Amino acid sequence: MTVTPKPTGGVGMDPVANALSIILMIAIIGAAWILFGWNTLVFKALVAVILGGALVGFGVHFVPVGGAPAAMGQAPGIATGVAMLAAGAGLAGLFGGAFAVPLGLLTSVVAGGIGGALMMAITCLFVTLIYTYGMGIPSASGKVKVDPITGDTQAEYKSQGTEGHGLPFSSFAGGVIGGFLGGFGGTLIYYALLQVYEAKLPTLLSASASAVAPVAVSLAGIFAIGMFLVNAVLAAYNITGTTEGFHDPKFARFPRAIFASLAASAVCGIVAILVAAL
Amino acid sequence: MTVKIEVKEGGTPHNTIMWAGLLASLVCLYLGAGLNLAFNAYTFSFFGGLAAVCAIVWGSNTIKTLCSYGIGTGVPSTGYTSFGAGVIAMLLASRVSWYLAPIVLVIVAAIIGLILGYLANNVIMMKIPVLIKSTVELVMVGALVLMGLALMTTSSYSLLSMVSTQTSLLGLPVAGHAGSFIGIAIIAVAFILGMIAVQHPFNATLGPSWQQDRMLMLAAEVGFLTMIPVAFMSIAYLSPLAVIVSIVVSVGGWFYTYNQFLCLSKRDAAAWLDAKPIREPEGH
Repeated sequence: MTVTPKPTGGVGMDPVANALSIILMIAIIGAAWILFGWNTLVFKALVAVILGGALVGFGVHFVPVGGAPAAMGQAPGIATGVAMLAAGAGLAGLFGGAFAVPLGLLTSVVAGGIGGALMMAITCLFVTLIYTYGMGIPSASGKVKVDPITGDTQAEYKSQGTEGHGLPFSSFAGGVIGGFLGGFGGTLIYYALLQVYEAKLPTLLSASASAVAPVAVSLAGIFAIGMFLVNAVLAAYNITGTTEGFHDPKFARFPRAIFASLAASAVCGIVAILVAAL
Repeated sequence: MTVKIEVKEGGTPHNTIMWAGLLASLVCLYLGAGLNLAFNAYTFSFFGGLAAVCAIVWGSNTIKTLCSYGIGTGVPSTGYTSFGAGVIAMLLASRVSWYLAPIVLVIVAAIIGLILGYLANNVIMMKIPVLIKSTVELVMVGALVLMGLALMTTSSYSLLSMVSTQTSLLGLPVAGHAGSFIGIAIIAVAFILGMIAVQHPFNATLGPSWQQDRMLMLAAEVGFLTMIPVAFMSIAYLSPLAVIVSIVVSVGGWFYTYNQFLCLSKRDAAAWLDAKPIREPEGH
């Protein structure tokens, strides 16, 4: 018989581990600098990938996740897991951003952000419709007394024995912000990797740039999805279960997820870049 | 503080499943790629699918080991990590020669998994004793499944065969890139198929009266089920004989494992039916 403590989600930060993760990131950036030089496409792409990964990890914290309790009307948020929602919003954003790549970096990443935000807005809208008219429950937050954006009081609408229910306005707004950040970061990763592959694959495969374009797009896409999922799951581990969005006390944990995302994106990013640049 | 209390009795130990899954998966990869090269044929590509099945069985038990701690994010999130990092390790490994690739894959996946596990355990402070080991295993599983499915689809797991396809134009062989395993994004289909396959078995069987053999049989069943669409996708790349062999192996394997899974389900369901309802005493 084994008795082990159940994870409590942890509070506070481990300074040694944080320092190690930052050292790892700096070491990888330094290695890329020495190997390829600082003013090269590869180095810039690596920095963009790390930045994108951190944005994804940060954005996930805004998304209101209710999990199974929300499906029973006992907790606020969207009734599914963190990783599912983040993947939905991020991948929707990624598709939007990928179509806008020929229009340049800024248009592309903003299009990706809007794609993710739109996906979350539609999800939140229909979740609210189902909660309100399908399940007959009002939207009430259990974590705050007053909605931080609208100023509406919450306690009168909250049923006893629940942690709140439905989708309060701040959670809705937080979901849209999270979708924007996720789509923005995901598209930034995609854009950076696409530039590297479009530059490196023609020599690697000894073929013309137009012939390898589908391969470059597909490789960048699958790596962007992979890195997005890794960062989303790390952020999901940080939230452990349910969150209401930016007004939830759990939101204060986000620095840990950013440290982790920076290091994880650096590791995955350098490996993904080395696939073509080696 | 809540504690996890677990009485372990019977069943195969996790370490046995881990080593068996890893070795069987590697042997299948080498058999498939080696025999294809030795006979200059496509016929042995189905070994890639078998490698994926072995890795999926191993991965499902790893997920059970990890998720019995209650990670709070749902079982599917483990499959996400597994394949999100696995695809990166697998494509780096595909750059080296065929006899080194599976070994490089295991090493690269172990390094990435170690770092991700450390980040989740110490930076995010999950503090789960098996988290680092499980993440290492899961990234390996993801990479092995993808490499196996790539072998099954394209008859090889080298990057060159994954990004190019031989088409014949007026009788002359022409190398193209657009219709290849990566060029047409079949890798994305393999990614999603494998991701669902590795997290589904535990997600579907967890709860009271969970039985290890039933979950592992379901894992094998899902693995063979994954092989069937991959076998059909390989029509574009392999000879008709190789495709027929792949389809026969995957459908046959699926039929057998599904039957076995059904038997095991009936066994466990019968155990449940034998429990008597709570009787209400008369005369109160």
